[in-house]
Amino acid sequence: MVARCSRDSWTDAGGVVAQAEAIRDRAVALAQNDGRVWEEALAALHDAQSEETSDARRDFQLEQKLEEAAAVPLEIAELGADAAALAALAGERGEGTYRADASAAAALAAGGARAAAHLVHVNLGVRPGDPRLARARASEQAAGESADRLLEPTR
Amino acid sequence: MSTPATLSDADLVQRCRAGDSEAWNELVERYSRYVYAICVRGFRLSDEDAEDVFQDVFTRAFMRLETLRDGSALKPWLAQLTRRRCLDAISGGGREQSVEEVMGDEGSSDMEEIEEAFAVREAVAGLSEACQDILDRFFAQDQSYRTISDELDIPAGTIASRIARCLGKLRTELEGRNEAADGSSE
Repeated sequence: MVARCSRDSWTDAGGVVAQAEAIRDRAVALAQNDGRVWEEALAALHDAQSEETSDARRDFQLEQKLEEAAAVPLEIAELGADAAALAALAGERGEGTYRADASAAAALAAGGARAAAHLVHVNLGVRPGDPRLARARASEQAAGESADRLLEPTR
Repeated sequence: MSTPATLSDADLVQRCRAGDSEAWNELVERYSRYVYAICVRGFRLSDEDAEDVFQDVFTRAFMRLETLRDGSALKPWLAQLTRRRCLDAISGGGREQSVEEVMGDEGSSDMEEIEEAFAVREAVAGLSEACQDILDRFFAQDQSYRTISDELDIPAGTIASRIARCLGKLRTELEGRNEAADGSSE
């Protein structure tokens, strides 16, 4: 919205609108996937717990499901970082009237990235140093920094 | 001497008529997706039927290239050949569906989308390699800014701006093509 309202004064505004729309479309698809893979992982976990004997094939499938359940929130965390970065850019270069809207968008995106990074941590039952968790945390941090760029001057 | 990939359609047709096989390969490469998209998206042909029409269209195009009076009209000429062959495939296939049912109310909008997608593809090809690469990574491969930054070794904070600038160039390229097309049709 910020970029869309800044077309007259910002030559890159159209390009930012296109990126924002692409990010929005990806977010919708990822949110749907996230629910699906989490449900599948939960069902696989329930199956594994209900059996007393060990089954290598079942254990492998469970591991696969847990991996998927972590992969999707990782993508969401990275998308949150992208959304926050784009919002920060729009807030800094777009029409000043809409800076507060850009700040709010960046803060929301940072919150999404933080929540998703937390899900990566929880879903994996992760060990410290897992590169996916490190990547999710880096996205969370990057998103937070983008939001702070807009929010800090107003504090 | 220009490479086939950089030739205009009119020059490409001229070189094909002169028996240049590289030029013919370029013509097929340049328009294969377009022809296939008309078959599959415009006329909803099965992959098998689309493949048959595809082969037939380019065979006919090769045989009849001499009859194309204006080489710059190659694209609409191929589109017309393709549409006719698609209609033949539908009416000759013993299908119960009519052409109208196959095309539906959305048929014309699908064709417009195909034309638009093809125009964008052509315009993208006119951008620098760096722009083509970064647009492909973000919009086609769904790569994040961080992944693009890591793989291309450019600062993550500049990716969104770079993409926006490349989109600006793409827009200019598209507008230039549209103006040229409008001018040539007057």
